[in-house]
Amino acid sequence: MNIVLAGAGEIGLNLAKSLAHQNHNISIIDNDRDHLDIIASNEDVLTVHGDASSIEVLKNANINKADIFLAITSMEQTNLLSAIIAKRLGAKRTFARVSNPEFLSEGQQVNFTGLGVDKIFSPRILAVKEIGRLLQRVAFSDVFEFEGGKIYSVGFKVDKTSVINNKSLIEIAQRVCDFPLRVLTVLRDDETIIPSGNFILNEGDHIYLSVLSKDLKKVNRLVGKKLKKIKKIMIVGGTALALSTAKKMEQYYKVTLIINSQAKARSAIDDLDSTLVIVGDPSEIELLKGEGIEGMDAFIALTSKSETNIISSLLAEELGVFKTIALVDNTAYIRLSQHIGIDTFINKKDIAADYIYQFVRQGKVQAISSMHGTEAEIIEYEVQENNKMTKAPIKNLDISNQFIIAGVIRAGEANIPDGNFQIITGDKIIIMVHKKQIPFVEGLFS
Amino acid sequence: MINLGIISNVLGVLLTIVGVMMLAPLSCTFIYDTPDKTPFIFSTITTISVGLLSWFYKFKNTERIGKRDGYLVVSLGWVAMCLFGSMPFILSGQFNTPADAIFEGVSGLTATGATILDDIEKMPEDILLWRSVLQWLGGMGMIVLTVAIFPLLGIGGVELFVNESPGPASDKIHPRIREVAKRLWFIYVGMTLLVIILLKLAGMTIFDSINHAFTTMATGGYSTKNASIGHYNSPLIEYIIIVFMFLSGMNFTLIYFGLKGNFKKIIKSDEFKFYARNVLLLTLFLSTFLFFNSHYESYEKAFRVSLFNLISIITTTGYATADYTVWSPFITFIFLGLCFMGGCGGSTTGGIKQIRLLVVFKNAILEFKRILHPRAMIRVKIDGNVVAGKTLINILLFVSIFWTIFMFSTGFMVWVLEDTKTPLLTAAGAVAASISNVGPGIGEVGPVNTYSGIPSVGKYFLSFLMLLGRLELFTVLIVFTPFFWTRN
Repeated sequence: MNIVLAGAGEIGLNLAKSLAHQNHNISIIDNDRDHLDIIASNEDVLTVHGDASSIEVLKNANINKADIFLAITSMEQTNLLSAIIAKRLGAKRTFARVSNPEFLSEGQQVNFTGLGVDKIFSPRILAVKEIGRLLQRVAFSDVFEFEGGKIYSVGFKVDKTSVINNKSLIEIAQRVCDFPLRVLTVLRDDETIIPSGNFILNEGDHIYLSVLSKDLKKVNRLVGKKLKKIKKIMIVGGTALALSTAKKMEQYYKVTLIINSQAKARSAIDDLDSTLVIVGDPSEIELLKGEGIEGMDAFIALTSKSETNIISSLLAEELGVFKTIALVDNTAYIRLSQHIGIDTFINKKDIAADYIYQFVRQGKVQAISSMHGTEAEIIEYEVQENNKMTKAPIKNLDISNQFIIAGVIRAGEANIPDGNFQIITGDKIIIMVHKKQIPFVEGLFS
Repeated sequence: MINLGIISNVLGVLLTIVGVMMLAPLSCTFIYDTPDKTPFIFSTITTISVGLLSWFYKFKNTERIGKRDGYLVVSLGWVAMCLFGSMPFILSGQFNTPADAIFEGVSGLTATGATILDDIEKMPEDILLWRSVLQWLGGMGMIVLTVAIFPLLGIGGVELFVNESPGPASDKIHPRIREVAKRLWFIYVGMTLLVIILLKLAGMTIFDSINHAFTTMATGGYSTKNASIGHYNSPLIEYIIIVFMFLSGMNFTLIYFGLKGNFKKIIKSDEFKFYARNVLLLTLFLSTFLFFNSHYESYEKAFRVSLFNLISIITTTGYATADYTVWSPFITFIFLGLCFMGGCGGSTTGGIKQIRLLVVFKNAILEFKRILHPRAMIRVKIDGNVVAGKTLINILLFVSIFWTIFMFSTGFMVWVLEDTKTPLLTAAGAVAASISNVGPGIGEVGPVNTYSGIPSVGKYFLSFLMLLGRLELFTVLIVFTPFFWTRN
């Protein structure tokens, strides 16, 4: 596929890399020449220097042949304008990153598709939604929803008190659980394992499993950690993400927001309603204690510095906060911090990339989620006519080492299929796949 | 420094308006064929001529009106209108002293509704109508002051009245002040006509319904009957007036949005919610109190009497259907306190006003939160917008000055009233009722009494307080500061 990317920022670069690895033709536009030179010498992409909203620049990036145009610069206006122009110049589908939450609110009246922008999205709002999901399901470090919440894929760390500790997967399926569940992948010491039935879970393993939404509560019991309902949360950071998160969460929880700068705090107050805004340095422990961090049910670190977020989350955990979530944009840090005990991360790059992938991937992709720190992805496909998958029951298909079927949606009903399950045309199939196998899977479903 | 041309020009226009309004009672003079026709003929001719002369002295005014001229013009304009408005009263011979006539005129134009007439029903129709017209005119003046003048002069947090919020949802009705005033006047006139029709249908004579419609919409409270609305003994009339007193106590901008079908704006308004809640809770309390203390046999009667008299005091109208000073000293005290309240900002009511009380109340609560969280940034919000620090100080200052003036004025009035039976009670009631433009107070100026027994000096002083309250204190007070008269 021919893909033109405007904006070689963190999200753009991340996308360009992984898309180029999947044999797409990428052109990337940015107005920082030095930055482009570095990209050009490392990645197999075409770089175009200039403003993305310039017709000339877009033409240089072969926009007329583009299947997809992604405008993800940090400037909302540039993104919208360049997407509109790109569409007129022949791009088949256009995507624009926006930052104004108004554009994405329900019932807003401007028709962006009519203007030539097929899809608008905001990494920030996606991240806020993810934080919301994590606070609702506090037992888990990751929560992915499929088909509007009919089926979930959740991740958590195996605790020594957990009933599944030291049990094999077969044992778990047959004796421990009285409900369908599929273990998708296990992260053990940085290694992504696609486990077989005899695999035995140890303390410290990070496991991902899929489950029907009605059984989600039962999974809580497997986790072992004593559960707590979130009532009071503390958010630190003056970033736009911190403000949006506070604005959303204050509808459900009692929120304390700690901001470093007086000016940012002042403008935060204009937008926020019941949130208590404190001006101070979030790494100052006396301040956190004074504002009752010990009584908080959740602590969310969303400053612009990954390091500060990691450290303050550790501090909060030390002080007994039940749930901590840290914004970490540096992927290398994520693995590191998983070792030292922080289990829940937010990564805007990944969230945005997941969102965009589902439009870029070949085949009828419905949704996509990458799991932090693992080499695996969860993808939802719609099964087309004459697909190999429909020829025989699952146990007779030769797929065992390629991917794991997490769930199947048939006529709106969610199933966790066993070996005897027969897939038919029109099913939506959710699979967990190792990154290495993605080309195989794409071939299978396209 | 002070631009006399501009002042003469504006005063001329104002007086001409007063003169033209006099044509209403003048026509009454002939329709009802009153015995003495000279007062209104003479007053009308004099007022219009003085007005026109003053207007033509500087007819073509090209200079912009300065802020300093603004304060002076508003204060002087109101004084001039009061004086010329009192002229028919002075000439009529129905009033014993000039002080009485001027008190009645000022009380009219400021929509206070305090009267010195012991037997209103004896008065000729033209005098009665002129009292009502004065109040109605005063109400109209209030609308102009709120939307056009006060925000420019920047006093007492009035910017909150017109919802000139800096936020994304600016609530201005129209970008041009002239257009805003026109729309609000249209509502005011339209509602007045509606009340006239409703009261007529409910059984009042056309003359009474016109008078009461005028004084209801202006939240003035002059009646054509000695027993005020209680005279009619009609639940229907009382409920009609209850509804329109309540509406007149609302911010007219909100009524405008309501008429355009935007009810969400009304429901979401913090001030309206505060106002409605205050009225409701007080009514429930008072009606229950009256019912269980057997002042009334039916709860409906207790409820209606409570609602009517409470709204009448809160909106600073001053009608009465019962003597609230005889129920219990505690209730009397509550009514004294309610005198200060006032309706919403941007209405024709007087007093401190709901929005200021709401801001003061919210700030007081938040102050405790600030003590607990010394490093928190906590701001007062109205309708989701932060109240600017300057506005907040302005409002706190307004309320404290209001109280200070009340204290000192009460002191002065106690001294004036030393020879009467209850000087303290009467003085407090008279001062509160005057400065808040309510009308009837407590003690010897309660709802069944009049101000006739107060000495002349007291009447002049109370008239001054009415003006002071009507012009939101600062407009008048600033003229008395030394900086006002020194060159920059």
